[in-house]
Amino acid sequence: MSNRYVEMGLRAPVNLTWEVSLACNLRCTTCLSASGEPAAGELSTAEALDLVEQVHQAGVFQINFGGGEPFLRKDFEDILEACHTRGIMTCISTNGTLIDRRLVERLAATRLVAIQVSMDGATRETCDAIRGKGVFDKAITALRILAASSIPTSINTVLTAQNADEIPAMHEMARTLGVSLRVSRFRPSGRGADNWEALRPSPAQLLAFSDWLANSGDVRTGDSFFSLTSQERQGLGLNLCGAAKLTCCVGPTGNMYPCAFLQTDRFKAGSLRENTFQEIWDSSEIYESFRNLRIHSCEECNRFDQCHGGCPAVAWHLKNDINGGDPECLERCVTSIADANKTAKAA
Amino acid sequence: MAAAGAGIRLHPACRVRQEGFGLLFYDARGPRLLFAETGSLLPVDFYGSVRGKDEFPEGLTENQKKALQKFVAQLLEKGFLREQSLC
Repeated sequence: MSNRYVEMGLRAPVNLTWEVSLACNLRCTTCLSASGEPAAGELSTAEALDLVEQVHQAGVFQINFGGGEPFLRKDFEDILEACHTRGIMTCISTNGTLIDRRLVERLAATRLVAIQVSMDGATRETCDAIRGKGVFDKAITALRILAASSIPTSINTVLTAQNADEIPAMHEMARTLGVSLRVSRFRPSGRGADNWEALRPSPAQLLAFSDWLANSGDVRTGDSFFSLTSQERQGLGLNLCGAAKLTCCVGPTGNMYPCAFLQTDRFKAGSLRENTFQEIWDSSEIYESFRNLRIHSCEECNRFDQCHGGCPAVAWHLKNDINGGDPECLERCVTSIADANKTAKAA
Repeated sequence: MAAAGAGIRLHPACRVRQEGFGLLFYDARGPRLLFAETGSLLPVDFYGSVRGKDEFPEGLTENQKKALQKFVAQLLEKGFLREQSLC
């Protein structure tokens, strides 16, 4: 990863996270956007197709679709088709409940789509406690259909206190199904904020996961765990927050944000109903502030070169300060465990 | 470099675009990025179609051709370009 070129500023994001709808047929306790009912004033089909053309003109390589459940949008396949005819690669994050063979056949024919099916435990009990009754079985059915197709497929798991011990079993389950495993970081946004204390992994769990990840090179983490990434995985991904530098987010109503975990008015970079995608990318003050963000309080840390202060979204949600450094980085996990041990000894 | 009779083109899982510093390559299989300080040496769409292994953009000096050959070998090794039959 070449930070120098990123810091010089790219003419467009490499990829775009697009939450096409807030509508969802599930109510997962970890949901970053508190999805359920569609948002008022979601982008129309014409607006969505216009955005695809703008994104294409900007030179974005890939759109990562999420929500909500993207397949609940009636025009979602039209949006995908508009992407694929322009050569834009797509990745769809879905709960898997609406996947069937005919849909998979249509998507496989495009050769430009990858799919992530969300699953939050290796057992029915763990997964359904987070995602709802019967969801584990539906997700497994979807994964079997997808695994039999040519679509690159992964299980996407949000690491929580409840499923942390099941991650190796999920890795094995993915291998058995013939798909890959991707683990995402649980962040306190959306419904995740309401359930933060109950679901957040402990420092010991985060540390154990980081160790396990070091020996599991085929497990993907996106940019979720760069603040926890061990030396063994350096080179597999980012070593800095890519928000507003390599990526950005479009919400259901056309508002743009630095990332999906910062979809609040405080971090609104602009509205596609008022400005073009390129104008917002080039001129937003919010994006500019993220590009210039330096976590000075972390500069003395021996891991600074590996994470550059970690995830600003976690820092914001937990400390109300994007300049404060990631409160759950690897170094702070180690310190927190050492402090707890000292306290226990003293007692 | 490519075998005799074979051409070179961008891998279908990859994309490339022009940036101020040169070319930015993207490989969706990783995903991986490659920042190439090529300036305007290599047009962005040059390997969008199959090119012969000794085919270069017009107007390059011998030194530039050598540098480009080395760069293309790297792109092949990293999987951003792939060999493909010319016919």
